[in-house]
Amino acid sequence: MRGPSLQRRLMAVVLLSVTALTAGLLLAGRFYIHRQLLRGLDDSLEGRAMSVAALVRYPEDGSTDLVFERGLLPASLDPRGRDKYQVIGPNGQVLEQSKDWPKDWNFATSSSRRSQYAWLENEQYRTACLRNVPILDEETGIPVSAKQLLTVSYATSTEGIGRQLTTLTAEIAASGLVLLIMSGLIVLLGIRHSLRPLRDLAEQAGAVSPRNWSFAAPESARSVAELQPLIASIDTMLGGLQRAFDQQRDFLASAAHELKTPVAIQKSSLQLLIHKPRTADEYRSGLRQCLTDTERLEDLLQRLLRLARADQWAQGAANRDLTPQLLSASCEASVARFRDWATTRGVALNLVTNGDLRVLADADDLELIWGNLLENAIRYSPSGKSVTVTIAHESQAALVSVADEGCGIGAEELPRIFERFYRGDPSRSRETGGVGLGLAIVKTLVEAYGGSTTVSSEPDVGTTFVVRLPAISG
Amino acid sequence: MRILVVEDERRLAQNISRALREDCSYAVDVASNGADGLFLAGSSEYDLIVLDLMLPKIDGATLLRRHRQSGKRTPVLVLTARDEKESVVALLNAGADDYLTKPFDLGELLARVKALIRRGKGHATPVLKVGDLEVNTIEKSVRRGGARVELSPMEYRVLEYLAHRPRAVVSKSELLEHLYDFNWEKFSNVLEVYVSGLRKKLGHEAHPLIHTVRGQGYVLRDGV
Repeated sequence: MRGPSLQRRLMAVVLLSVTALTAGLLLAGRFYIHRQLLRGLDDSLEGRAMSVAALVRYPEDGSTDLVFERGLLPASLDPRGRDKYQVIGPNGQVLEQSKDWPKDWNFATSSSRRSQYAWLENEQYRTACLRNVPILDEETGIPVSAKQLLTVSYATSTEGIGRQLTTLTAEIAASGLVLLIMSGLIVLLGIRHSLRPLRDLAEQAGAVSPRNWSFAAPESARSVAELQPLIASIDTMLGGLQRAFDQQRDFLASAAHELKTPVAIQKSSLQLLIHKPRTADEYRSGLRQCLTDTERLEDLLQRLLRLARADQWAQGAANRDLTPQLLSASCEASVARFRDWATTRGVALNLVTNGDLRVLADADDLELIWGNLLENAIRYSPSGKSVTVTIAHESQAALVSVADEGCGIGAEELPRIFERFYRGDPSRSRETGGVGLGLAIVKTLVEAYGGSTTVSSEPDVGTTFVVRLPAISG
Repeated sequence: MRILVVEDERRLAQNISRALREDCSYAVDVASNGADGLFLAGSSEYDLIVLDLMLPKIDGATLLRRHRQSGKRTPVLVLTARDEKESVVALLNAGADDYLTKPFDLGELLARVKALIRRGKGHATPVLKVGDLEVNTIEKSVRRGGARVELSPMEYRVLEYLAHRPRAVVSKSELLEHLYDFNWEKFSNVLEVYVSGLRKKLGHEAHPLIHTVRGQGYVLRDGV
């Protein structure tokens, strides 16, 4: 199912506007031509009327009866010879008129216009009416008398100009059609050409896959200003997608390693035990070893469950009754728990408290958060250095920072340390650390309480984790 | 036979080496990181390397590549937690001979180790034959002329190594290198005791199989 095509839309818009333009031109042209033709016709009619008027003479014998020289009538404007005329004398009597002059035609009244339309047997006529035309002397051409004035009407069929108008309109319409077709073709080619960069871009973007993230916008697309924002967002989106994909892949690989290794150990231990008959003592020590191996799997499961619970809690899916916890007491308990281990590693543990700040939380969760942070700090501290836990107050928040004086965390690693199963050591060796869930658990738990965890680190100076929790008054 | 296990999971390394020692009576050395593994692989003669991929200091794939670059042809069995096709293909292309995904079956590991060692020495079947002598490397039993010969574990190891390379002169130091791991003191006179025991048990004074090449070592061959 394809939506309306951009190309077709553009075409439609352009063709519609060209059509509207042509139609407008046609109407305006027709109106103008009609006016010009009518003006020409009116001029001709007046000329004819003047010529007819000039045929009225005083007789040479001096009598007062006016004569009309019918033999000198001008040629008819109508090719069929249907022109009509009427001459009304000074006294209002019809002096002369063509034989077919309709009885009901009367344009001589002073109110009527010089030129007007008239109808006769469903045929339109254009008439001109000249009033107060003087009778001219035949030889001198000078009006004989100012009082002897004529009224002359002349009419001809408008069929002639109607035909001309139709012909001219048809010609304009034909050229308009040619214009329409030509502009349509030009627009089609133009749009196709302009849309090519878009197609190139789509093709290039279509080649991107989780196996191949490389995307370079084609030159043709990069040179188009309108496509710049699109290219920029494709780049940004692909970068984000790639990070998400890589993170997911790393997560799977790390989780597989963490889950498979204890299973592999246990399986091989058991297989070794049943491989051949052994003494009761050997079986006993073998089973004891298997139990120890199981503890590692148990520990991993426990961490995963804690994380899942924190997730659930963070998403608001679980309800718990929380009680206000005194931060100093909570941190003190955790520090006390780690003091022996720190001492055996030659690391000093300091606690700096600030008043009796309280947070609304579960006591076990808080202990887990401080415990994980302390465990990391002590593990990565060389002998002779110290780890300091500081409780501080900042407007509505309680701040607990755990600072060590270890070797620090590299800038490229720092953003990833809260990822689940992330380990700085790619070998994920048991000798150098845990399973990589400790900090993820801290982050998820703290966020579940509406707080945040941040980290800053400087090589060879140390690393500081800051947990910010909403403080409650009282 | 002497095997190098490069595995940073202490418990897993323990189990693998114990199984190799118990089941195959191989000499086993363990390296717990890539750097140690690469050093050991380059400094001693091993008949097989069991290599984990995720290792501290030098990862398994790099170790494998460097080991092959230095011209070593020791068979390598890789242990991996990943079983995606691409990583397996990359591994085999980098010079691995076989691979097992974790969690693996210990019995399968042992069978693959034996097969790799056998093939590494140019034998297609697990029963090695020299004249009328048959060494079954699966059952670890020895027959001469169809009659079963009972050997002590060390005597068997000496004979199996020699049977893998029939008609070739094997020096005493080479034998010692392949029979003992680093945890054992190496005494060449102990070797002489095993060889003389072997000769006695294999019998047929008229047609001895193990010959001494003076100043060079031993050779296993049919006839003089």
